[in-house]
Amino acid sequence: MKSLGSMIRREMWYILFLVPGVLLFAFTVITPFLQGVRYSFTNWDGISRKLTYIGWDNYVNAFQDPVVLTVLGNTFKYAIILTIVVNVISVLLALLLDSYLPLRNLFRTIFFLPGIISVVLAGFIWSYNYSQGVPKLLSYFGLDVTSPLGNPDQALIGLIIVAVWQGVGTPMIIYLAGLQNIPAELMESARIDGAGPVRIFRSVTLPLLAPSVTINMLLVLTGALKVFDLVFVTTNGGPAFATEVIATFIYKNAFSSYKAGYGMALSMIFFVILVIVTIVQVSFFRKREVEV
Amino acid sequence: MKMTRWLVFAAVSIAAVVFLFPLYVALLMALKSTKQTFESFYALPSSLNLTNFVQAWQTSNYPSAFLNSVIVTVISVVLIVIVSGLSGYAIARGNKPLYTFFYILFLTGMMVPFQVMMLPLYQLGKSFDLLNNYWGIALIYGGFGIQTGVLFYTGFVRSISREIEEAARIDGCSTPGIFVRIIMPLLKPVTATVLVLNVLYIWNDFLLPLLFLQNKGYRTIPLQQYFFFGQYSSDLNLAFAYAIMGLIPIVAFFLFMQRFIVKGIAAGAVKG
Repeated sequence: MKSLGSMIRREMWYILFLVPGVLLFAFTVITPFLQGVRYSFTNWDGISRKLTYIGWDNYVNAFQDPVVLTVLGNTFKYAIILTIVVNVISVLLALLLDSYLPLRNLFRTIFFLPGIISVVLAGFIWSYNYSQGVPKLLSYFGLDVTSPLGNPDQALIGLIIVAVWQGVGTPMIIYLAGLQNIPAELMESARIDGAGPVRIFRSVTLPLLAPSVTINMLLVLTGALKVFDLVFVTTNGGPAFATEVIATFIYKNAFSSYKAGYGMALSMIFFVILVIVTIVQVSFFRKREVEV
Repeated sequence: MKMTRWLVFAAVSIAAVVFLFPLYVALLMALKSTKQTFESFYALPSSLNLTNFVQAWQTSNYPSAFLNSVIVTVISVVLIVIVSGLSGYAIARGNKPLYTFFYILFLTGMMVPFQVMMLPLYQLGKSFDLLNNYWGIALIYGGFGIQTGVLFYTGFVRSISREIEEAARIDGCSTPGIFVRIIMPLLKPVTATVLVLNVLYIWNDFLLPLLFLQNKGYRTIPLQQYFFFGQYSSDLNLAFAYAIMGLIPIVAFFLFMQRFIVKGIAAGAVKG
């Protein structure tokens, strides 16, 4: 009887322990999320007290809006290119730093360093490097360049370069940790069997590194789809919508164009896209993982 | 073989130089006057000149921004560690579907993009008087941070053997006593991970302060820099001195905590 009493008491404590977390989560995530769903069915301007429900109109408009297509195109182009480039570079750096290289800890610090700088600062530093630093450097070699951020055809690439600079540190560390989990005997026996470095990488290292690939692809891609700060502080979507992405577009609808209801509908579509991308990606890469 | 080693070293060195180049230009700008920059862009300044830093310090209200960043970050991180530690322990030890349900709920929350909650949170902040003070923004960082925090703590507590707890229970120790005396000391490594990852994120965050801390007296470093750069876009040398000043605290934190940051990221990847 005593044990039942103490069991119940223990359970009560566990529930009590969980309460602050659940309350905090309900207040900062669930409530705003449900409010957002509600607003997405209204024509609310973001300020007035009056809400008129207009059914699915915002969603129908979003699917017919040509700007939304451009914005989605920009976002995916940015995210996909960034994901590929960041992962290729960070795998390369991890492979090189995993060998017995002199000063490898210093190099690791250097490649990680840009990632800890706030995006506001990184954007500022790069805007200036693009407009002055790089053109001045290249002019020594007789090349004449202007800032890519002012050119609609190059602005997105310009932003991707900044994001790569800031983004390789974390995946590199995850790949390094993954490489350290691969038993050295496997590579050794492949080498004895006569495999070259490229063949060893393709047939031994890469398949065993697959869990790290899954997580890095997912982290970089979902992070890149949500990009806001970098665009907001450097180009603010310009020139001519060339760098307008979902997050900045939603922000403008919600806070400056007085189309909050529409903005919320867009953000719900954005949420669904993120969920689909996550599920598709995880199931695609999980299939390619092998056990040691 | 030796040859390839040197080639690799050379390649990595070149990459490192490319990575450092933008920061070098920024430092160069901060140390030179407008005239010196105009005369020769890449030349090092003839003498160490800190005029830009002195002027940036005087015009920018840097100490206030620094203090705001510290206060917001510390309150948020303490909240995240306490709340997610408690929840994580409860989820790991209370073996009931109820706990699993909340665990999955926390994880699903991570997929919701900030834009979905942005405007309702702003409304909520307005109606609960949470704009332009430290507590409101810390509460929101807390709510966001516990999602990954719970993930880390639950995983860690599950790996701790129950035997010590059971022994303590037989000796008459209550559940809160067990948590404080036995579990909390064991949680140090996972707490370090949760701490460093959240500090890096909160310290550098821009959008939430932009919405919640518009009042000048409450601006954090990234937000104040954003306005400072807009205001002093003509005096770039001054703006860069301010940029370097903003860099110093987080770079110092990174260099001191690097070991924990590296470990934390690797641990996070395994958990994910």
